[in-house]
Amino acid sequence: MSGVPHPTTFWDATPDGNSFFRKQEVYTMQWNIPDLNNFIVEGARRGGPLAIRRNESAILEYGRQMTSRPQIQLFSSSGALIRTIPWELGKVVKIGWSLDEQLIVLNEEGVYRIYDLQGEYTQHSLGSEVQDAGIIDATIHETGFVALTGALNFLEVKGWEGGRPLALASAGLSHPPSCWDVIPPDQTISRHVELLVSHEATVLSVDNLERVDQHISRGPFSKLSVSPNGKALALLTSTGVLWVVSSNFQESYTEYDTSVEGLPDLPRQLVWCGNDTVVMNWDSVVLMVGPFGSVLRYYYSSPTYLISEVDGVRIISSQCCDFLQKLPRVSEWVFRPGSTSSAAILFDAFELYEKKSPRADENIRNIRPELAGAVDACVQAAGHELEPYWQKRLLNAALYGRAFLDSYNPTDLVEMGQTLKVLNAVRYYEIGLPLTYNQYVQASPHHLIARLTARNQHLLALRISTFLHLKPDVVLRHWASAKISQSRRESEESGIVDDDEEICRLIVAKFDTLGPDAAQGVSYSEIAKKAWLAGRSRLATKLLDHEPKAGDQVPLLLNMKEDRLALTKAILSSDPDLVYHVLLHLKRRLNLGDFFRLIEDGGPELKPAANLLQVYAREQNRDLLKDFWFQDDRRTESACLALEEAGNMTDVTAKIESIKTAAKFFSEDKERGFEAKMMEESLRLITFQQQLEKDVDGGITFVGLSVSQTIRACLVAGLSKKAERLRSDFKIPDKRFWYTKLHALTEVKDFDGLDAFSKSKRSPIGYEPFVEHLVSKGFAKQASSFVPKCDAKARADLYVKCGEWRMAGLECKERGDKAKLQELKRSSPNNLVARELEQILTSMG
Amino acid sequence: MAATTTLQPPHSQLHPAHPAPPHSPTSEGTSRPDVANPLVDVSMLKVLAQRGLVDALNSVNGAKTLVLDPSLAGPLSLVTEVSLLKHHGVDKMFWLEPGPLNAATTHVVYLCRPQIKWMKIVADQIKRLTAGSTTHTYTLILVPRRTSLCDRILEEEGVLGEVNISSYKLELIAIEDDVVSLELENVWREINVDGDDTSIFYAAQALVTIQHAYGLFPRILGKGDGAKKLADLLIRSIPPPSSRTPATLSHTSEVIDSLIIIDRHVDMITPMLTQLTYEGLIDEFFDIQNSHVKVDPALLAPPPAGSASPGTSATPLPTGLPTSTPSQSKRSHHLHSADHLFAQLRGSNFAIVGGKLHKEARRLEVEYKRHHQAQTVSQLRDFVGKLGGLQNEHQALRLHTGLSEEISTRTRTEQFNKSLEIQQNLLQGYDTTSQITGIEDLVAQQAPIQIVLRLLCLANLVTGGIKVRVLENLKREILQTYGYSYVPMLLSLSSLSLLTSLPISKHSKIPSPPAFAPIRKSFRLLSDTLEAAPKDISYVYSGYAPLSVRLVQCVAQKSAILSPAASDNNGRDDKDDAPPNANANSDPPSPLPLPLAHPITGWKGFEDMLKLLPGEVVDRTQHSEGRADTKPAPHQDRPMTTMVFFLGGCTFTEIAALRWMGTQMQGRSFLVGTTGMVNGSSLLQSLGDGPSVAFGPMT
Repeated sequence: MSGVPHPTTFWDATPDGNSFFRKQEVYTMQWNIPDLNNFIVEGARRGGPLAIRRNESAILEYGRQMTSRPQIQLFSSSGALIRTIPWELGKVVKIGWSLDEQLIVLNEEGVYRIYDLQGEYTQHSLGSEVQDAGIIDATIHETGFVALTGALNFLEVKGWEGGRPLALASAGLSHPPSCWDVIPPDQTISRHVELLVSHEATVLSVDNLERVDQHISRGPFSKLSVSPNGKALALLTSTGVLWVVSSNFQESYTEYDTSVEGLPDLPRQLVWCGNDTVVMNWDSVVLMVGPFGSVLRYYYSSPTYLISEVDGVRIISSQCCDFLQKLPRVSEWVFRPGSTSSAAILFDAFELYEKKSPRADENIRNIRPELAGAVDACVQAAGHELEPYWQKRLLNAALYGRAFLDSYNPTDLVEMGQTLKVLNAVRYYEIGLPLTYNQYVQASPHHLIARLTARNQHLLALRISTFLHLKPDVVLRHWASAKISQSRRESEESGIVDDDEEICRLIVAKFDTLGPDAAQGVSYSEIAKKAWLAGRSRLATKLLDHEPKAGDQVPLLLNMKEDRLALTKAILSSDPDLVYHVLLHLKRRLNLGDFFRLIEDGGPELKPAANLLQVYAREQNRDLLKDFWFQDDRRTESACLALEEAGNMTDVTAKIESIKTAAKFFSEDKERGFEAKMMEESLRLITFQQQLEKDVDGGITFVGLSVSQTIRACLVAGLSKKAERLRSDFKIPDKRFWYTKLHALTEVKDFDGLDAFSKSKRSPIGYEPFVEHLVSKGFAKQASSFVPKCDAKARADLYVKCGEWRMAGLECKERGDKAKLQELKRSSPNNLVARELEQILTSMG
Repeated sequence: MAATTTLQPPHSQLHPAHPAPPHSPTSEGTSRPDVANPLVDVSMLKVLAQRGLVDALNSVNGAKTLVLDPSLAGPLSLVTEVSLLKHHGVDKMFWLEPGPLNAATTHVVYLCRPQIKWMKIVADQIKRLTAGSTTHTYTLILVPRRTSLCDRILEEEGVLGEVNISSYKLELIAIEDDVVSLELENVWREINVDGDDTSIFYAAQALVTIQHAYGLFPRILGKGDGAKKLADLLIRSIPPPSSRTPATLSHTSEVIDSLIIIDRHVDMITPMLTQLTYEGLIDEFFDIQNSHVKVDPALLAPPPAGSASPGTSATPLPTGLPTSTPSQSKRSHHLHSADHLFAQLRGSNFAIVGGKLHKEARRLEVEYKRHHQAQTVSQLRDFVGKLGGLQNEHQALRLHTGLSEEISTRTRTEQFNKSLEIQQNLLQGYDTTSQITGIEDLVAQQAPIQIVLRLLCLANLVTGGIKVRVLENLKREILQTYGYSYVPMLLSLSSLSLLTSLPISKHSKIPSPPAFAPIRKSFRLLSDTLEAAPKDISYVYSGYAPLSVRLVQCVAQKSAILSPAASDNNGRDDKDDAPPNANANSDPPSPLPLPLAHPITGWKGFEDMLKLLPGEVVDRTQHSEGRADTKPAPHQDRPMTTMVFFLGGCTFTEIAALRWMGTQMQGRSFLVGTTGMVNGSSLLQSLGDGPSVAFGPMT
């Protein structure tokens, strides 16, 4: 069999013989690290890289590779050095990996950095409060971390954007816990992070609301680990008893006393292998405890480091990288010696067919009803094999089986072939991503592409993208950024600066060759930013010109101090907030004169910015608004602003001052003569009102009323002389004065006065308004006295409005209007009225 | 309307009765003749809005104090209920208003629009609380998005570091099956006076969401400068096709055939007129806010013990502090088409509402009487089963009878009729001078200023300006009557071409209003139609067809403008035409087939008419990715929805007209989108007749 070992070579059956585990060497390590015990290792999930730093407490032979400067080395899973990160920022408390393979390094002062695989980093801090207490421990998960302060409080940080740390509920600890772990937010019911903390004999669950004592008495525990799906918990007591329990402590799964192994001390690590098996390691032993307490032992010649995966565990030693997992069911079906499953028979048939044995056909016929299932099983099993030889054989077996099926959807088969091609490519030791099929499916192809670009494996990423029909824009963008960063590095070393024109052309050409689709997805601004950060602003400007989205250009242009351009681009984006962003930024940076000049000189093009500035200033910065309008000779606006302020003032003197200001502004604009005149009138009114208030000894408030309202208030207060004065001073038209007086006298029920008023002269508004108004205010009786003064034709209806049906009837009679009388009768509200009207009707003959 | 008193009280149903007649007269009550079956199911918007809110609230674990922007309370009440908030940990609620906050919980959550004034209050409260002894965490949820402006204000106030800021993308809210609204206030003013296009941006974002759900609009048409901006932005906001573009954003819609954007500012005549539909008048007199109207509690049945009635209690009210919002004795009622009677009445001209109510009363009476005829136990059981429904209908009848009564009292006043008369005369161009005098008379009578200003703006729009002497005199009258604080508002009206003094100064940069006579003629704005059996959309204003909807007809119902007779072809005997005492059980006459809707072909044929109106014309086409050359196929065979979006707000009459149009053709229904519901008064109010501008108390 061409020297490729049979899959079963790597199998180990559990002592009870019920299940198999598979441990397979994935890589021989390329590094030269004799003893992992001298280092602290943190590995990223999904076959990710390893971060290694010297264990400062371990005594180390001074060797040639060792430098005294603290540093963190990043290795691929196959032990190839990716990058060395110098560390100069105080004592490291914890390092860990984010979901997208960024390295998180947290120091004891609460400062943490987020590195990408190229060594670029962003730095954040947990805040000044933390500095005093310091950080003594932390647990980093893929979407955030929880830190334990010296004051024994837990702080949670969500995401990697430098968000504010959130204090979790007080755990009430008196000394640092021996061990604790985090259930990440995506695995909890509440969708918020939960902690499990070993505290004396018990375990505490802590989240941001409360601390719950689980009332366990088996502690203290020395190790505690949450399963990948967050549902189970593995605990190791100080005496070495392993206890696996559901994470809510409702159900106990497995117990195993590790002391029977006769190993010194406690294990170095306790990690999960998938969701049902726990693995521990000692210097030369890796111990696996399966679901029903079944145990397997693996022996190593040097210390190991374990990385938990969703479907297994990676075991790193100084020589090799192994992958240990529970054997997938399909693999067992196909390859287990003596298996009688249809998949195994199909595989057997395929091998017979290759040997041209007639029994092949017989085999197939035997499993005819289950053939489709057998084909599927072979396809699946191929996915779980690491060795291309066996993958190929399994897929061929599936193909062979498929030929006997009338209708079989080949999608799965084709996709598996594709996927395996991708997986084999990234598993190649130079790439060093030992990704399993399950991990790949779980994390999506996009994630894989991102991981490859982060390693600067652009060509492979691009090929995989094309192969899987994914849009290549992501890869290209990263490539261009990397290209610029790299050119910076090169130029720093060589002193020769590449031609900006040349690089820009190169990048744009690259995108253009990929067709319009890919080119549209490119964010030139992102690349330009890289260029600018690399100190190449000319290149950045050139690249920005290719950016189709105006909005994306703005922040960079601002940084580059291209103020005018930034503002124009922001306006072009039509996003008002982007305009605000630029405006507020500029307002802070420029002096007021320059700031205004920039906006004013912009002309109509920058008008939207000027508008938004006014909206902002009106609410937040009145002085800015006044200055802006003053500078721009905007008299009308200035006047209106003064008026608005006058309206908000309670002090009359100040109010008058503001109105005067407004009047002055209006008078300076020859188009606003009318408004200026009105301001003077209003000042006159206020003066008059003040005098009035004095006259009545402050009993009535007049200031704030309009002219008409003042007249009315005067009449209500019985100051009819004053009302007359206002009438002549402000040239009130008769009609308005009459209505005002009518309303006022009705209000104070001065019906005699009203009568006298009505007779003072012929009413300019007629007398119907008298009737209407009195009726509407509920004085129907008084209203009726005005009906005779009204137009004869309207009288009958007006009487009805007053409720005087008889009078209405008589009115009709007087005018001999029988038809109207009939109509009244029909609409009469009750019989009494109807009878009365009937009488009048008959009296008319 | 006295019909309610003749109804059997609903508690005597235990008598046997006759079998029910074969066809149930309730069928008319339960069907909704006014609203065509919407093709586009907008209920997903509510689901989206609710989920967004829940996610936003759940981002903070545990009990929290919610501080709510009062202007969001209305919109939120349309998508959620207090119980949902409680369920997601809201312990207490407060209005966001100046003054200290008394928060009992550790977590304080602010929910507000990203406006400067709110930021200042939030900052102030945080500063006060931080000064105290208890510690709090603060979360600020901005609707619909976080802005750098807000960040900056909080930074200037020195609290940015204390707050966790997130956003809640509340966009279009489905206020009816066929109406979606952003429920924003003051949009018209912001765009046209302040030059602040923020709401255009939000509208574009919201329309992208709509396209996300239903596919790209194959065609975008519009009229007005704002419409142009919105259309451009909309097209630019579609992300370029990349690996992450969802299919809906790369293919044209299967259900929506076009988007027609009407810039409110193109048609200012319509809102200045008094709306004459039932719903329109409710809005004019009682002010409908976020689909809710405050009514006399006597008109609403007491809520059944234990459970609140769904329509009335949705508005969240703080349980703690006494609030500044006036706690009136009036109760808030949700006006919605789920109330079948309202669905029938809302779009009708008020003139025929009385008759319809009478008919409904008669029908209910017959229904109630049927229990006398129930003879067997099973008949009785059937009746009792229906009883709940009957009681609801009875309740609805009481409410609408009461509302109509109040409306008709008001429509009988001298002032109302005078104002209507002036409107009609102005539209016809009849003796404009005496109309101005009529407006002056209304000022003398101290009619509400909004009425006066609406008439004045209308006069200005139809006459193209008012002689400077006359106008100044009128303005002086207004200022003396209502206060000099109206100077800025009058200036704003001039700058909007709503008040133009003649002759126009040479230096003036403000355009004069377009000549009205040709617009009136070519758009056939005036057309008489029966209110009971309308043949034209002009029924909503008793003879005037809203210009905005005429514009929509240019695109979506050309025949209505070109050959008015064509829209008459359905000689259906509308049942509302029948006298009130007609037999309610009569079979509906079989309708003649409706004309088929024509495919959307843009403004073709109306270019010259469009030039009569100010503002740009929009006609854009969006294509499916990959087949750039294929024209959107005319969907003669498939029913389509046409979305009409009003930028700057629309009136209830315009919605009624569009709904009515939908019933006049086969294969096209309308989905109305708007930035909010407006009427002439609310538009003018937004110009600054706020308390902050007034010089003193106005009564």
